[in-house]
Amino acid sequence: MVRTIAASTLALALLGAVAAQAAGDPVATRKAIMQSVAGAAGLSGAMMKGEVAYSPAAGKAAISSFNAAGHTFGDYFPEGSQAGDTTAAAKIWEDRAGFEAAVAKLADAAGAAMQASGKDGPADVEAFKAAVGPVLGTCRDCHQVYRTR
Amino acid sequence: MSRSTLALGLVLVVALLALAWVATLPRTLPDEELAALVPGDAARGEAVFFAGGCASCHGQPDGKGVIPVQNKHLLSGGLKLVTDFGTFVAPNISSDKTDGIGAWSLADFANAMLTGTSPDGRHYYPAFPYTSYARMTLGDISDLFAYLGTLPAVAGRAADHELAFPFNLRRGLGLWKRLNLSSDPVVSVEALGRPAEEEVLSLLLRGRYLVEGPGHCGECHTPRDALGGLDYGQWLSGAAAPTGEGKIPGLSPGHDLDGWSAEDIAYYLESGFTPDYDSVGGEMVSVQENMARLEPRDRQAIAAYIKALPGR
Repeated sequence: MVRTIAASTLALALLGAVAAQAAGDPVATRKAIMQSVAGAAGLSGAMMKGEVAYSPAAGKAAISSFNAAGHTFGDYFPEGSQAGDTTAAAKIWEDRAGFEAAVAKLADAAGAAMQASGKDGPADVEAFKAAVGPVLGTCRDCHQVYRTR
Repeated sequence: MSRSTLALGLVLVVALLALAWVATLPRTLPDEELAALVPGDAARGEAVFFAGGCASCHGQPDGKGVIPVQNKHLLSGGLKLVTDFGTFVAPNISSDKTDGIGAWSLADFANAMLTGTSPDGRHYYPAFPYTSYARMTLGDISDLFAYLGTLPAVAGRAADHELAFPFNLRRGLGLWKRLNLSSDPVVSVEALGRPAEEEVLSLLLRGRYLVEGPGHCGECHTPRDALGGLDYGQWLSGAAAPTGEGKIPGLSPGHDLDGWSAEDIAYYLESGFTPDYDSVGGEMVSVQENMARLEPRDRQAIAAYIKALPGR
């Protein structure tokens, strides 16, 4: 339980960090957003594998992070941010529409998971799996084309 | 120059040409091996198909140059591999009798997979990873051939490779093969620690077979020399991407998998998620989709082999 709360707090703290950086460097901002996704995915995975006890509040925290990322991530790839310390593939700027469609898939899946979460979060781990599975399924499709491995 | 010197020079040139001719001859399997081939089992061949990753290059690409998972049984070819040597285009290996390999014999297929030689006696470029497939068993080759025969015929020939001189001279590959083609295992059982328990050893050997043979992991995860041969001294230590952007992670100790347990590796191959819940990306997405189709024991075997790799 302590680990669950710690992990949820971490996920929320990461989101807070995103908000604080939003006005600055787009590379740092999008990285922070994706780190919050990784944190939420780590918590989700640990709960689904039973390494961390499931709690509806923790489930909802994870889904909220995915949802926030889905709605913001695509905004931090302006022209000129291809260079530097980034694993963003050149394809993002060559095929902007395709990239935006891929991010929209994350937003749609996460939005549906938010709906399914209700006020208190998915009631049990089975409900959580059903809600979050499609969200995690969008990672690979985007990373296959728009990230340099 | 005297007449005799001229004659000697001429003899030398002819001898060198003859030597080059012989050294670059496309070779095939010995007759006794070809004679021992028996028709395979298509059901078993499906697992070999996924272990070998055939569809990750020969599947039908979509408009973005990605082979979607639902196209993995349509082996039209057409995917472009843009490399330092030029652009290789994956050929049609569907069961189509004119555009694919539907008219091939099992012996033709075994020669292609194990010696990199085509039915009409030409060298294949090693973008087709026969340098790894050469370690496959004849049984797996036969099963795979039987399975490929059950997949749909797709009409249409893929475009030709676009290679610059001297790489467009196929015959030269004969020399390259002499340097780089071997069916011997890469890592010896001793170097893998030769576990005493038979069960552990058999898992490790299965993993070695899958990684070094059909899985052809080394083709991307091992650096290459200037001529494009694998640098076996740095086996699976990671490399610059042979096509596209980025770097391919190292699997051997001291590189990118050091914090991973064998369970983590097997889970990654099954689910596409790293221990940190980062997702699989790039070309590895297609590879992981294939690995997810294997028996759980095969993924455990691959993980066991990777964890047993010697450090340097």
